[in-house]
Formats: sequence, C-alpha cells, structure tokens
Amino acid sequence: MIERYDWAGGREAMLRFGPADGPLVLFAMPLFEEANRTRAFVVSMLRALAGQGIASLLPDLPGTGESLTELEEVSASDWTEAFSAASGSRPCHVAALRGGCLIAGNVPALSRWYFAPATGETVVRDLIRARQIADREEGGRFDADEADRDGPPIELAGNRVPRPLLRALREAEPDEMPPCRIVRLDGDPHTADRHVPGTPLWRRSEPDNDPALAALLAEDLAAWIERCAS
Amino acid sequence: MVPEGQAEVEATVRAVLRDVLGLDAARAAAFDAATPLFGALPELDSMAVAGVLTELEDRLGITIEDDEVDGDMLETFGALTRFAAHKALV
Repeated sequence: MIERYDWAGGREAMLRFGPADGPLVLFAMPLFEEANRTRAFVVSMLRALAGQGIASLLPDLPGTGESLTELEEVSASDWTEAFSAASGSRPCHVAALRGGCLIAGNVPALSRWYFAPATGETVVRDLIRARQIADREEGGRFDADEADRDGPPIELAGNRVPRPLLRALREAEPDEMPPCRIVRLDGDPHTADRHVPGTPLWRRSEPDNDPALAALLAEDLAAWIERCAS
Repeated sequence: MVPEGQAEVEATVRAVLRDVLGLDAARAAAFDAATPLFGALPELDSMAVAGVLTELEDRLGITIEDDEVDGDMLETFGALTRFAAHKALV
C-alpha cells in the first residue's frame, strides 16, 4: 500500500506491507543506482516478511523515487532525519541493505538487522570510479579529489550528487549499535553473524530478483525479531 | 576467508564477472585466458567495470589504485586474473 510520511523538509512516499499491529520493520534501501536495482528484491523480501506476520515500511528518501525534492538539494542529515520520521512514533526494528545502513543509525530502534552493509567510503568510491572509467573511455580524465572542492553537484551514474552529500557519506559507517545482526553473501569475506548463498543484485545493470534469497532473508529477519522480543 | 591460491583467485574473478554481469553459470564457466572482456561483452559498461573492480577488492582483500585501471588489465579473462593474482598473492 502506498502511503505518505511527513518529515521536517516535506512529504515523501512510502510502501507499507503486512498487518496493522505486531512488530514493525523500517527498511532502508541502498543508495543511488543500487536502489533501483534492488527495489523488486526488497519488495519481495518485505512481502515474505508480511507472510510471517511482520509489518514493514519502505520509505522513499528525499531526492529519490517519487520525491518532489531534487537530489541536488539534499544533505546527508535530510536522509537520516526523513528516514527516522518515517516510522512516526511507533517503536520499530530497523533493517537495511548496503548503503541504507549508513542512514539507519539515527533511529532509536529496538534492534538493527543489516544485509551486506557497505561503508560510505565504498559507496562513494564506486560512484567516482564509474565516472572515471566513463570519462577515460571518452578521452577525458575525472579527478577523484573533485568532491573535496566546492562547486556544483557532480554527475555520477546518472545522478547529480551534491558535493557536501558525497563528503558526508564518505565518512559514514554503518551504525552497529547492539542489538545488531549482520548477514552477508557467501563470497563476502567480511565478518558476519551469518553468510548466505546468493549474488549481489545491487551490482547488476538490469534490475533483477531472487525470490529464494528474499524468502531466506525474511525468515532470518523474522527469527531475529522474535529473539529480540524474548 | 580471502582466497590464497592461484586457482582460488581465478575462481573468484570468474564468480565476480558472473555475479556483476549477470551471466549464466555455463557462460562464465567457459571463460578461458583468451576470452576477451572489455569491448567484447556488452554487459561490461563503465558502471559494471567499477562494480567488478570493487567486488574484486572486497572478495580478495586488495586495493586497486586508479592509475592501475587501464584497458590492458580488462582486455581478457587471463589478463584480469593475472592482475588480480599479482595483487592478491604477495
């Protein structure tokens, strides 16, 4: 169900899944292009979660999706404030994928659950690197230090990203305040509470889905929420 | 665990190309040292190249500098595997 939520800077869209009562999950999508690539997958996961009796909210952040705000006007604190406002005053568990973990720390959550959390440094370097490679193909050269200088938003992977947002994100780390559970893919050598089989859909240039992985993650998250409640 | 042997590095490079480019397992398994990559695979655009490099960094525990990224290392599966092994196996 499509709803709206209000935050200090305006009104944004969000999807709501599952029952009206019981535990509630507030989900943070990956950032930038990765959000488009994983939206169908995240929706599959939240539908599977609803099947286990757990409700969830999937907010659009300012400057993304249907937002009336332009991305080039957005700051990192707008994202954390908007995300935090999306749950209203209802206690919730926070779940996030990839760069979504970077904006999920502002919420006084009952627990945190992260799948494939990415550091801000990785997220920003990915964007800059793609721009460097694209420019080189055309005989140009993009300076990686450009984000450190003042100036207009930088065109990165189809988005005009404000430089202060890039700088703030680059310094951000996932907030792993306990209780926090981390799940990663099998190929990812970083430490985690669990590694699961699957492929990194956020890397695919065409959006794709993996219903089996979505169901497995929904089960893991549901079990985690039950453990936190006991 | 970060891969430690030549065969493991090659398997990781193959898995990264399969995962990032969304290739089916049979197609990725058929890659050999002479299989051309950049310019030959339509899936391998600049975003995908960035994704391949970052995934290799994560999975092999290496850092790839900007000035190391050039057409040669991405020309064939063999060249990319040699580059990754050189970085990972020191």
